[in-house]
Order: sequence, then structure tokens, then C-alpha cells
Amino acid sequence: MQLMRRKKKVSANQDHHIEAFFKIVGEKEVLFEDVDMLSYNCDGFTIHQHSPKAVVFPKNTREVAALVKYCAQNDLPFLARGAGTGLSGGATPLNNEVIISLVKMKGLLSVDYENRKAVVQPGYVNLHLTNSISSKGYYYAPDPSSQYVCTIGGNVAENAGGAHCLKYGVTTNHILGLEVVMPNGDIISIGEDGVPDSPGYDLLGLLTGSEGTLGVVTEITVRILKNPEMKQTVLAYFDQVEDGSRAVSDIISAGIVPAALEMMDQTAIEGVEEGSFPVGHPRDIAALLLIEVDGIAAGIDEQIEEILAVCRNNHVKEVKVAEDDAERGRWWANRKTGFGAMGAISPDYLVQDGVIPRSRLPEVLEQINEISRKYELRIANIFHAGDGNLHPLILFDSRNPGETQKAVDAGSACLKACSDAGGSITGEHGVGIEKIEEMRFIFSDEEIEAQTRIREVFNPGNLLNQGKLFPMPGRCLEVKKAVQ
Amino acid sequence: MELEEVVSPQQIMKTAQGHALGNGGEHTVYPETEDEIARILTYASENGKSVSIIGGGTKRGFGGTKDSDDILLSLEKFAGVIEHVPGDMTVTVKPGTVMKDIQEFLAGHNQMISLDPEWPEYATIGGIVASNSSGPKRLKYGSARDHVIGMRVVYPDGRITRTGGKVVKNVAGYDMNKLFVGSMGTLGVISEITLKLRPLPKQEKLVLLSFSKENWEKLRPFTVSFLDSTIEPVSLELMNPALSKKLADIESYTLAVAFEDVESAVAFQENWLVENKPSEMNMTVMEKEEAVSFWKRFTELSPKDPSSSSDIRASVKTGSKNMDVFHLMVEADRLHHESGAAVYGHGGLGHGVAKMYIEGPEDKVITAVKSIRAKAEELGGYAVITHLPLAVRRQISVWGNQPSYFFLLSGIKKQADPEKILNTGRFVGGI
Amino acid sequence: MSMAKDYTMEKQPACSTKSLSNYFPEDHPDPAKWDDCVHCGMCLEACPTYLETGQEQHSPRGRVHLIHAVAEGEIKMDQSFSDAVFTCLDCRACVTACPADVEVGGLIEEARGQIRRAEPLTGWKKAFSSTILEKLFPHTNRLNKVGGLLRFYQTSGLQSLTRKSGAMNLMPDHLSGMEAIMPNVGHPVREKYKNMPVIPAKGDEVKGRVAFMTGCIMDVMFSDINDATIDVLTHNGSEVVIPKNQTCCGALHVHAGDRDSGRKLAKQNIEAFSDSDTVVINSAGCGCALQEYPELFKDEPEWKEKAEEFSEKIQDISKYLYDTGYEKPQTEMKTRITYHDACHLAHGQGVREEPRQILRDIPGVEVVDMPNADTCCGSAGVYNLTNPDMANAVLDRKMENIPENLEMISMGNPGCMLQMAMGVQKYGRSERIVHTIQLLDWAYKKQKEEQRQLQTSGKG
Repeated sequence: MQLMRRKKKVSANQDHHIEAFFKIVGEKEVLFEDVDMLSYNCDGFTIHQHSPKAVVFPKNTREVAALVKYCAQNDLPFLARGAGTGLSGGATPLNNEVIISLVKMKGLLSVDYENRKAVVQPGYVNLHLTNSISSKGYYYAPDPSSQYVCTIGGNVAENAGGAHCLKYGVTTNHILGLEVVMPNGDIISIGEDGVPDSPGYDLLGLLTGSEGTLGVVTEITVRILKNPEMKQTVLAYFDQVEDGSRAVSDIISAGIVPAALEMMDQTAIEGVEEGSFPVGHPRDIAALLLIEVDGIAAGIDEQIEEILAVCRNNHVKEVKVAEDDAERGRWWANRKTGFGAMGAISPDYLVQDGVIPRSRLPEVLEQINEISRKYELRIANIFHAGDGNLHPLILFDSRNPGETQKAVDAGSACLKACSDAGGSITGEHGVGIEKIEEMRFIFSDEEIEAQTRIREVFNPGNLLNQGKLFPMPGRCLEVKKAVQ
Repeated sequence: MELEEVVSPQQIMKTAQGHALGNGGEHTVYPETEDEIARILTYASENGKSVSIIGGGTKRGFGGTKDSDDILLSLEKFAGVIEHVPGDMTVTVKPGTVMKDIQEFLAGHNQMISLDPEWPEYATIGGIVASNSSGPKRLKYGSARDHVIGMRVVYPDGRITRTGGKVVKNVAGYDMNKLFVGSMGTLGVISEITLKLRPLPKQEKLVLLSFSKENWEKLRPFTVSFLDSTIEPVSLELMNPALSKKLADIESYTLAVAFEDVESAVAFQENWLVENKPSEMNMTVMEKEEAVSFWKRFTELSPKDPSSSSDIRASVKTGSKNMDVFHLMVEADRLHHESGAAVYGHGGLGHGVAKMYIEGPEDKVITAVKSIRAKAEELGGYAVITHLPLAVRRQISVWGNQPSYFFLLSGIKKQADPEKILNTGRFVGGI
Repeated sequence: MSMAKDYTMEKQPACSTKSLSNYFPEDHPDPAKWDDCVHCGMCLEACPTYLETGQEQHSPRGRVHLIHAVAEGEIKMDQSFSDAVFTCLDCRACVTACPADVEVGGLIEEARGQIRRAEPLTGWKKAFSSTILEKLFPHTNRLNKVGGLLRFYQTSGLQSLTRKSGAMNLMPDHLSGMEAIMPNVGHPVREKYKNMPVIPAKGDEVKGRVAFMTGCIMDVMFSDINDATIDVLTHNGSEVVIPKNQTCCGALHVHAGDRDSGRKLAKQNIEAFSDSDTVVINSAGCGCALQEYPELFKDEPEWKEKAEEFSEKIQDISKYLYDTGYEKPQTEMKTRITYHDACHLAHGQGVREEPRQILRDIPGVEVVDMPNADTCCGSAGVYNLTNPDMANAVLDRKMENIPENLEMISMGNPGCMLQMAMGVQKYGRSERIVHTIQLLDWAYKKQKEEQRQLQTSGKG
């Protein structure tokens, strides 16, 4: 819908491409004016901002294919965007791209309960799927904290995780099929009808998490799961971070596979309690654990008892089990809005996404403390302790000269600590533009080149989401190759 | 440069030719380090030698139309656990490690790789990963692709790349693990694998639910309601009557339902079945050893060696919509009685992968295989022939039709192995 | 409409990456508000205009981003910016969704003030503004003279929009079997009680005294609701005063960017209610605006202090009753009803449970949950006049969520009542639109009537 807007005029300094987009998607579905472009100059990662050339809103696969083909034929860089909640700048147009916004392709196309699958368009919001099927007792497992707003298309691009992927896996474990517009405009379909293990290389696995650099996903078949019979959620407060960390290891060692095992430190608790969804966590504790187990009701009590015992063995200050769904809901809302809540205690924050082997938790947390001291910036930690996925939130104030850079450096130092501990620089947020340089912490130039060679197969002109994911040497090699 | 200059002569064996399953090599080479693998592959690519890869040899009859490559690279001696951190629930192993050895090692720490592939006493983890093997417990645990978190891979030109890492959650760069899992050794030689683990279940039980042929239509509605309940079976595998007879001496369609959980939860679920199963359904419960023995025999269904009689053996994997496994098992039953070949089949009603084992005279086996493929394709699925003698593989496409996006598959192969030296012809479309 | 000129300040030289603000220094949008926003996007799905357009500039974080960008000198206050800022419904759903409590609503109003300062209205909008906002609402006498509903319609131009909309039908005087006890429409309480300095509490116990803010639309178009409010208050032991000097709350002026008028009205109200400890209001939009008076006086510390004091006194009628206690009716009402959260009650004042509890406390009232009950209906003050397309689209979405087989839809805001009446009409539905407090009032009246009849028959 166009609002309060006089008829658009494509001015002389706009080019004929805009007119071409009008023809493909209709005039109302094209944005190109400066102010509008400014609102698309970043996603959830705001440190780098670049305006696109245009934003187009296709309504179906055919229009996406036509747009992509046009861009390919006219050498126009382009990229796909969902809700724009990504935290690594994956949807930020570095090269004045044409943004193909998929938010108007937001249909739930079909649900097949017998075969446990659903087909959605890429702009369909993650949580809407669970909401649509919950009355029948089903849900969609990947639950990134942004699930209230993020799209499943974006989840595929980033291979999104979430609090419950400890037990149920990340997005890639739940994708059965994809329809993809290739960077030349061809449409391919992998895993049609949700048939498993399509013969051939695992393109579903490769495309999931490729951060929109291999193709534009236009239809997604996902696995849906039956709701567990019962859920129980435990909240445990600790006076020492080390006690909390040890409790995490002990729960896992006890042979329990919790559905979720989350941790927050004192600074993070301050943030969520200042934010919009406080639940009354005490401010004087060093860490809290949020532990959820689910499954057959008959076996849950046993596991809860064991978890409570582990917490007590690790000097828990207070531990309680959620009374009902409402209380569990409040605890999770408090946790899931944790990043945004940092706005309440700091003008800016930078969230990092390192992963470490679970057993290295205490030492890496200590290193992050040191980084905080060294850079004189507060760092809050909210993280998926169960799978070692840390989210150090570096709090800063961009109005202070030089502080943004300091925050970026501190973030990088956190990632270095993670990779030095044998971990990874990103567990679920993706590399985007944010962590391009940090890719070197874990990959050699040759290893990066092995990946860019795969990109060449899909995206030979590199017009699609250029400049993301891989640091320069990869590009140097490509250039070298081109020169040869 | 000769091969003997690359590795020690003791690691090279001249191989007898004419193996009935093909996929051999003039020389079999037994590297013991990653560096040796790299040297062998560098030698091969520089000298235009073709290389076939083998582990435990359980999948020698799977794909490929060549009797022999120049080099048969055996990873059998490149075995062992490299690192196991119980607290991290991860294990790093060499590719030639036999599945059973890893599981026994892990059991000492109350952990497991939650995969139930064929022939665990012989199959190596490298082969399991390269073929993305899975068994009935895929319903709950997924297939090899869901367990591998990191690898080291030697490219055909000898370069080494790492994919993934040692952490359970990782999205740095492309998910290159996925590229190599199930790639049938056509892109590189896996030299190290890191997998995520699960705790050993505290209790496991196997329940066989069978319907007589007359009543078997009731099986489907029962299965739908079972799947729709909150019960969490680890497997829900339907066997055709021939297979059920063979494994459990019950000649009827039988569901193999496994539970793995804490004791009280397993008991509850078993009891749920008692209370909710239709009266026409017979129920057999197997406890520890009995269940273990059942599953062991289950994993040994797939042929791995050449047939010793004049009959030949084949195995076929189909992929379909979950519930279409019913139709495929009916087809297996029909073929068992009508095709002149014996057809044993099982498939997961919650995951859509089925397997059929066929034995009989060559022409009858070919007919049966073709019928299974036709049925699977009619249902919108596919059939891949996972075992056949070489001579027959030359007559019938192992992988079926090329997908519309074949150009991507061939493009990937070309980037990784431009000289086409690795396991060439073993994969879809002759890749 | 045309808008070629930029009334903005000169940019800094190009060598500087960030230039000075492109806002006027007076009443400058508050940087502290956008500083809280980290662009996480959690607001997107809460925003009706984003849901409708899918466009960032029509989302809360997009608007905050743009408002910030003007302050950074990156863009000017041009037409596109104005579109983004004026397309906001001011529904505050984003404030509820926001994890960091970003005051998007306040920011939008400040930006609108800047835009109006930069570019005064022209054309029909100017005429509308001057007729309705300046010449009508603030003047009780004129409003009263306009008097009846039809004349108000004719004058305001609402008529063409709501013709056949069923707005006439929403006067809730026809709940079956209750005609006898229904008040007559069209006697503003300020007229009715003008000679009563204090309207006494009924019964023996006097709980306290409250001042009643009658609202301007409320008192002319929905005077029966005001009557009901006074009756419910006095029924529950409150004395009611209606300060004479009170005026329009100014919400519409502030929403439209006319902050100077807003301030003028605010000052008058603050003074008018200076003797009162508690000010009760039954219009969510007005209540919210009164509570936000301090926002208007950033540059006038003295008044800011008074405004803060004033805002503390403001209570929605449902919250006031809920907090101070009310008699649960004894009689059966037998009706199936759903409750719509007025934006300025739920998102603006955090009042959600109180009105629902009142409804549930009336015997025989079956309250059916409405999905997305707290999504805007599209009324949004005069938004349905300025942005009819969007308002209609938002209304369509709202109507999709209304449960079937209802007799009534209850809410706590006159703007919503008009808009929802339109929706009911548009979709050929039959629900009556009622104010929550009316239902309670009717229950009390029915109860009284029953008691009276009982007594009569007892005597007879």
C-alpha cells in the first residue's frame, strides 16, 4: 500500500532500472527515494550502514526470478532480505544493491500433519508457524530469540539456532526442501515434497546457512514436530559464575539432554530487569541458569530431581521450578528479549556469538572478563550454555569518540578467545560483514578459498550479496584467477 | 615418481583383479596418516592416476561401473579415536575406525554416537559418513549429516581443508560438512571426523507390533494416531511380512517400535501401547539382550559381499513421503510373492527412508529393482541401488534420473576434483 | 499535495561525516529516546502499518531510524520523511513489544511537531485542522452548540465517510428488553450537571471525591457513556466534580504535530484540575494524552513539574474502579461479548486486565477472547480521516479477528467505538459496540429496576 504519497516520479538521476522493476512487480512495490533507502541501510547490525539502490517487493517466485534475471543481465548487485533482524549485517547492501524484500511472500502454503511437514514462503514469520499448528499439538523447533518477528527465509539463510536447539538441532536439521531462484534467475527445487536424502550432494545443507550468497530461497519445506507431552523449566541462581558453569557440565554429564540450558550473568540480569519484561531476578547474584526439560511426563520428574540435585551440589543460592505455563512464559520472554533489553542500560551494544567446547566455559568467561577490563567496557553475557554458544554483549556509547571501534575490537577479542579455546566465531548469527575478518581466526586462506570456489558454482558473477562472509584473500584469489 | 616413493612399500599391495563388486584398484595402498593420504593423492593427481576409496568394504557394491581404478585407497589402517572430551559430548576419530569400536569405547563413558548404520562391526565411520548412512533410529536421531560437526578432508590435489569445527553449533562460512557427508568420496578423502554424542539411554525397549495380513489395513490409522500422540518412539519401522518372518518369525506386517528414555518413561510408553493398540494387533516386547540381538540382525540385512551362489543380491534405498513407506512395503510384499525374487523390506513411517533387500536370479532381481524404483517414483520419491554386483550395475542406473539441478552437482565436483581422479563414476549422473 | 521546499537548516561542510541536526532547536526530538533503540526489530510484527506495507520506513524502528537520521543531518525533513512519521497510527503497540522501552510514541509526536513547524499545513488538511482542532474541540460552547450528532457530522466532514456506516446504530439504547432504563442521547453531562458543583455519592458511605474529565467527543457524541460513568462512580460511593474550566485534552493536536496548541490546552487543564487529587476519564486516548503532558514541557521546567504532578492524578475509569473496588452486580445480563483493547489503554496506559475483570464480574456476561485483541482498529484519533486507506486496511485486519456469534464488542475509547462500528457495518455484522462502563451501569440499573419491581409486586 502506498501512503500519503504523490505519484512517484523517477527523476532524471534515477535510471531506467527502476522503470524495469515497476514493470516486474508493479509501481507500488518499488522503493527508491533517499529516505526510504536510508531505512534499509542496515539490519539488526547497525555499525555499518549503506543504502541500497532500490527495494523491491515481489509477491511470488515468478517475480523473484524475473527480478534476479534482470539484475543478472544488467550487472546489478542484489540481495535478498527478510525481516532484517540479522545480527551480522547479512542484509546490509554494501554495493548499492537492489534489495529483494521477501516480506510480502509470507504465506503458509500447506501443512501435512501425517507426513510432519509444512511448506512456507520465505517471508513467513518463524513464530507464526508454531502458532498456526499448535492447536493440533505441533510446533516448529528452531526458535531464535527474534522468532516473534524473524522470517523462516532469513532463518534458512543464517541457519538460525535458538534456545531449544540443544536437544532439537538448528534450522538445517529441520529443512526438508527448498525452492531456490539461482543467481541467474533459474528456479530449482531440492527435496520436493519433503522427500529425505535427495540423491546428490547435500545442497539443502549447503544452502542453509549460506547467508544469502548462493541463491534466493522462495519456498521452504520444514519438518514440524509433535509437542512434547510435558515441559518443566527450572530457574537457578548462583553466587559464583563458576558454580553455574559447573552445574551446566554436571547436568550434561548426568546423561540429561535438556531442551534448553541458558545462562545469564549479572550484567545481563541488570539489563533484562531494567527492560520491558522483568521477572524479579535478584540483582546481587552472579549468574542464573534457565533449564528446560521436555518429553514423556512420566520421566520428567526424575530428570528435574536430578537437575535440582546437581544445582544444589554446585552451591545454588536459590532454585525453583516454574509453577505453570504463564510463569515459564514470563521467564522465556525475559530471556528472549535480553538483547534488545540492553538498550535500557546502554545506548548501544554489540552482540557477539562465539562458540566454545562446553568444558571450557569457566576459563573463557574469565577471559571475557579480562577483555571487559582491558577495553573498559561492560560486557553482559547471555548465552546458550548447553551448547557452548556465548553471546557477550559489549555495551558502549557510540556518542563517545572512538568507543564504537573499542567495542568492535573487544568483540573481536572475545571471538579470538573462543577460537583459541577450540571454538568458532559464530554459532548462529552468521559472519555477514561483521565477522569477516574473524574468519581468519578459524580458517586459512586456502580453506576460505575452498568455500569461495563453491560460491562460484552457484553465484559465478558474484552479484548476489557480494562482500559477505569471506575475507579479502578469498577475493584476491578470485581476482588472481580472473586475471589469469 | 613411483607410488613406492610416496609411501613405504609395505603399505602397498598389488591387488587381485575381477572382484565381483568392482570398485577395486591395481594397487591397494594403506595410508596411516593424513599426510600420507595427501601424498598419495598428490601423486595420483600429478600422474593422472585414478583413485577408489575403501574402508570396511561394506559398500563396495554401491555405485561405480569400473572394475578397478589405479589405486585403491584403503583407510582401514588409519583408525582410532583422536580425542574424546566427555564433558563436551564430542569425539574426534580417524576415518578408518570401525563403528562398533567407537561405540564400545564411548559406552565406557556412558555415551554414544546415536547412529544405527548397517554392519557396525565392519563399517568404518568414514564410509558411514561418506554415504550418509542411517538406520531405523533416524526417526529420533537423524542421519550422519545431523551428527558430523567437523572434518578434515584431503582434496584430490593433496590440499587439506577443515570443515566445521569441534563445537556443536557453528555457522562460520558455508556448512562444508554437508558437502562431504554423503558425497560418496567423490570430492575428497575424509581424514578426520568430529561427531556430537548423546548419553546412552538409561533404558531401552523394543516392541514389535504385528497385524495379520487380513487386518493390516488397520495398521495405517493406528500409525497415524500413534504418531499424533505424545509418545516419542526412537524408531517406527515397518517391515514387510517376509522380513518380519526372517527376523522375528512373525509372518505379518510388523512395526518395530523402539523406546529409549529413563525407565519410568519407557514403561509409560510401553503401557500406552498396551492400552491403545487395536485388539487385532499382536505385541511382542523385547528387553535388553533380546533387543540388541534383534537390532544386530537388522543391521546385517544388507548384502556386503559378493554372492556365493548363482543367485544375486541387491539392496535398494528409497526416499518418499513418510507415510508412503506403507505403499512401498506393500509393493515389497507383492514383489516377494510375484517377482520370482525374495524381497525383504523395511521403512521408517516417521522419516520416509526405506530399504529393500532382494535375492534371486539376476533377471528377477533386476525386474524387482525396477519395479521398486517405478513405485517410488510414482509416489514422488526415488530409489537408489545401494548394492548390486558390478556386472548388473552396468545395466541399470544406480542413482536413477539426474535431478534438474545436476549442473550444480557437476559444478561442485569440477571445483573439487577437476581431474576426476576420486571415486569417479560412483555418484549421481556418473560424477 | 505538494511539498517541494525544504525548511531545514544548512548542512555542515562535506568534510564532516555527521552534520548538525536538521531539526529546529526548539522542542527538539529527544536523543535519549532513540538511544534506547538498538534496531533489533522486535517491534515489526506489532506495528499495524508495517504489517500492512512490509516497509521499514513504516515500522517503528524504521521511523526511529529516520528521526535519528534527521538529527544526524543525514536526511532532511522532506515529504518522504513526513510520510513515514505521519503514517504512524500512534497506537503504541511497539512500546509494548519493545524490549528496551523505547518511547516511540513520544518521539513520533516530537518529530511531527518539527514537521509542522517546518511546513505548516495547506489545502484541505489545513481547513480540517483549523475547523476541527482549533475552532471546535477546544471550545465547549461551540461543541455543545454543534450539539447533536448529525450536525457534528455535517460540520466535520465525517458524514461522507461514515454515511451508512452504522454510526447511528451504535448508540447503545437498544439492548433487548432494556429500553426503558436507557438514557436519552445528546445531553452533555457538562450541561446536565452545570449547576451541581458536587454530584453526590449514592448510598451512605462516601469513599472519596473524584474529578471527571468529560472529554469533548465523549461528552457530545457519547454523553450517555459519560452519564453511565458518573452513575457508576456515584453508585460505588464516589462524589464527582466536573471542573468547569477543563478543555479538550489536546491529543489530536499533539498527534497532528500542533504541539503549541497541545501545550495551551494542557496548561488550561492542569490549572482546571489543580484542586483535584484524582481525575477519572473514560476515554483511553484522552487519558493517555493527559498522562503524557510532561512530554510537552521539556523546555518549560516549571510547567513540566506541574504536568508531572498532574499526570499522576489521571486514572482510567476501569482502573480506578478496579483499584478502589466496586460492587459486583447481582443481576444476570446474559450476553456474549468480546473485549477490544484500545491502544491507548493497553499500550499507552498498561490497562488490560481491569476492564476484562469488570466484564467478567457481571453475572451472565460471557467474555470471549479476541485474538490479537490489542491490535489497533485503525481509528487512531483522526487517522481514519487523514489516512483512510491505511485505516481501512488496519480495520479489515481487526475485523478478521472478531469471534463469531457475539452480541457486543466492548472497549474503552470513543474513537475505537466509531471505527469498530464502521467495521461491523462494513462486514455486515450485527454486534453492538459498547463502552465497558456502560455494561456495568446497565447491570446496576437492571438490578435496581428488578429490586423496584420486586418491591412493587411485594406491596401489591
